[in-house]
Amino acid sequence: MKLIYLGCLSKRLYESTCKNAVKLIQFLDEDFKIMEDAPCCGSLAYHITSDEIMKEHIDFVNDWFKTNNVTDLVTICAGCYTYFIRYYREFAGSDFNVNVQHVLQFIAEPANLEKLNLNYSGTPFKINYHDACHLRNSSIPIIDEPRTILNSIDNIEFVEMDFNKTKSLCCGAGGGVYSAFKENSDYSAKAILDNMKRGKALLTACPFCFTALTKVRDENNIKKPIIKFEDFLIKLLEGVDPLV
Amino acid sequence: MSDKGKELYGHVKERIDVLHEPGTLESNFGLFWKFASSIKTRQHDMKYIYDDSSREFVEKNRDRFIAMKDEFLHNMDYYVEKCIKVMRETNNMTVHYAKSNEEAQEIFMKEIGDTEVIYKSKSNEAKDIGILDTLRENNITVKETDLGDVLVELFEYKLPSFGVGPGAHFTKEEIVAKIKEKQGVELEPTASAIVEYYRDNYRKELLNDVKVSLTSANVISAEDGTIVLGENEGNISLLTRATEKHIVLCGITKIVPTILDAILVAKLQTRINNVSFNYISLISGPSATADVQGEKVLGMYGAKEVVVILVDDWRTKALKENLLYKEFLKCIGCRTCNYICTASRAFGNIYASKYGLGADGIIRAYIHDGIEAAVKDGLFLCTGCENCRHWCPVSVNIAEITKALKKEATEAGLCPPPLKAYQEKILREKNPFR
Repeated sequence: MKLIYLGCLSKRLYESTCKNAVKLIQFLDEDFKIMEDAPCCGSLAYHITSDEIMKEHIDFVNDWFKTNNVTDLVTICAGCYTYFIRYYREFAGSDFNVNVQHVLQFIAEPANLEKLNLNYSGTPFKINYHDACHLRNSSIPIIDEPRTILNSIDNIEFVEMDFNKTKSLCCGAGGGVYSAFKENSDYSAKAILDNMKRGKALLTACPFCFTALTKVRDENNIKKPIIKFEDFLIKLLEGVDPLV
Repeated sequence: MSDKGKELYGHVKERIDVLHEPGTLESNFGLFWKFASSIKTRQHDMKYIYDDSSREFVEKNRDRFIAMKDEFLHNMDYYVEKCIKVMRETNNMTVHYAKSNEEAQEIFMKEIGDTEVIYKSKSNEAKDIGILDTLRENNITVKETDLGDVLVELFEYKLPSFGVGPGAHFTKEEIVAKIKEKQGVELEPTASAIVEYYRDNYRKELLNDVKVSLTSANVISAEDGTIVLGENEGNISLLTRATEKHIVLCGITKIVPTILDAILVAKLQTRINNVSFNYISLISGPSATADVQGEKVLGMYGAKEVVVILVDDWRTKALKENLLYKEFLKCIGCRTCNYICTASRAFGNIYASKYGLGADGIIRAYIHDGIEAAVKDGLFLCTGCENCRHWCPVSVNIAEITKALKKEATEAGLCPPPLKAYQEKILREKNPFR
C-alpha cells in the first residue's frame, strides 16, 4: 500500500494544508491513501527517550506498516521525514522496509514536476524559502528539491536567505522545546523573519517552523505572508493568487 | 512526574522571566549577546579583513583540523608523553602532569609558594580546572589583565559572560560611573579614555610587579613543546615576559601533533572570533642568554621559569571509556558553536554554566557537577537544530552529546513536565495530542 503520512501536528492544526497535500500527492499518484489510525512516528519523544524504549515504539509503528502492507510512504511533515530516514533504519535495520519520501522530494521528481506543470502568469515576485532543520539535517537531506520546484516556475524568482541550506537558522520550536520554552522561538523565529530581505513571502515545509513563524509574525505585526509549501503549490495549480 | 524535574523547570522558567525583565543583568547581557553573536556569525565571512573569507579558510582546512585531532586522540598517550619530554629535556620548562583537577590545584599552590598576588590572562581552562576558586579559598589575590575581565572584576559581575569580550556588555557610561565610584577618578565616557586610564595606571604594575603569572594555552605543539598564545592587547606578552614565573595551566587536549598544526589552529581561532590576534607568542622555554662565554643562563629579560601544568581530569577517561562526551575532546575552543547556537542566541547567559556560555558550558557542567547541574543551567533549552554540528570546523557532533544528556536527564526524572507529557502520550497513545 502507498500511504500519505500526515503527521500528528499537521493533522491537529492544519487541516486545509493536509487536504492540499493529499490533493497534490493523489493527483500525481492516485494509489496513495490516508489512514486515520496511523500511529505517531515518535519524533517528539526521540530526544528524551532511551534507545530501548524508542526501539519498542519504532517496532510498534513498523509492525503497523507491515500489517497494513505499507510499501511506500510520503510524509508531509519534516519531523516525520527525518525521523523515518535517520532513525527507523538505525533502530529497525532491514526490518524497516518502507520507501519513505518527503512531499517535496516526491513533487520534485522530474516526471511529477512535469505532470504538475506548475506555472504562474501574474505579476512577477520574489520568494524566500526557509530550510527547516529537520529537512536539512536528515541523512538524505531535502535541500535541492524546494529549489528545483521553485526555479521551475516562470515569473517567480526564488531568492536565498542569508542563512540557508545546512547553515539555516532554527525557528526555536524543534526538539519539543516549543512545548516547554516557547520563549526560544520568540527570538529565533523573529531572526528568520528579519533574515528575509527581498522575498514577498516566506515558504516553509515544516509544520513546527510554520507554527513558530506565524505566531511570531502575528505578535510582531509583520505583514509578509508565511505559506506552507503545499498550500502555495495548490494555489498555483488552481490559478489563484499564491500570496494571499 | 518527578518533583525534581518540576523544580528545575521552574528554576529555568524563572531565570527566563528575569532575562525578559528590562534592566536586569541577564537582560542587558542578553541584548548585547544577540547582537554580538549575530555579528560574529555574519563575520565568518570577513572579506574586508582577509582576501579570502573565514568560511573558506575553515572549509579549506577542515580535513586537516579533523585529521590532526583524530591523530592526537588515537595516540593521545604518545603525544602527551612526547610533548612533556621535549618540554623538559629541550625547552627547560618545568612540567607537571596532573591526573585530576584537585591534583592540578595542589601543584599550582606549591608552585606559587608564598606569592600572594597572581596576575592572569583570560582562560576558559582555568574555569574548567577550578583554579580560581582554589586561589580565592587560599586568600590569594587574582588580578585579571584582559581589559574585558578587568571590567568584569570592576563590576563584580558573577554571571557567565562572553568569552572574547567578557565586559563588552557594559556601557561606557556605566564603566566611567563605576570607576568614579570605586576609584574616585572622573573619566570621559569614551572607549579611548577608559583604555588610556588603564594603560596609564595598570601597565606600570604589569611591567614591574608581576612575580607569578597564569595563562592557558591556545594550543600546544607536541613536536617541539611550543606553547601558542594569541592576544590583541599585549597583556599576555607582558605576563609571559615581565614575570619571574610563568605558569601555563591547561587540559592535555590543547596538544596537537605539530607546530604547523598549532599555528593553523591559532589562526582558525582568530578567524572565527573576528579578533586579529595582533600578537601570537610561540613560547618554547624561559628567557635565556648564552652571551657570557657561551654559558647558558636562564632569565635574561623575560620569565625566569616556565611551568606547564597539563591536566587530564575527565579527558583520558572520556576517551578510554568511550563516554558520551568523548567527541568533545576534539574541540579547539573556537566558540563557533556558541555564536550559531539557537538557544544561546535566544537566552544569552541563561543557557550557560559557570564554565561558560552555550552547549560547551552545559557539557562541562555535566562533566564536573553532574546531570542535575546541566539541566539547571538550561540543557533543555537546546532545540537540537544541529547548527553546532554543521558549523564546527572540526565537525564535533555536539548535538549528539546534548541529545544523550537529555536522555540521561529524562531517565533521572529531570525532563521538563510539558515535554515529558508529550513523550508519555506518544508512547502510550501513539499520538502526542490525543
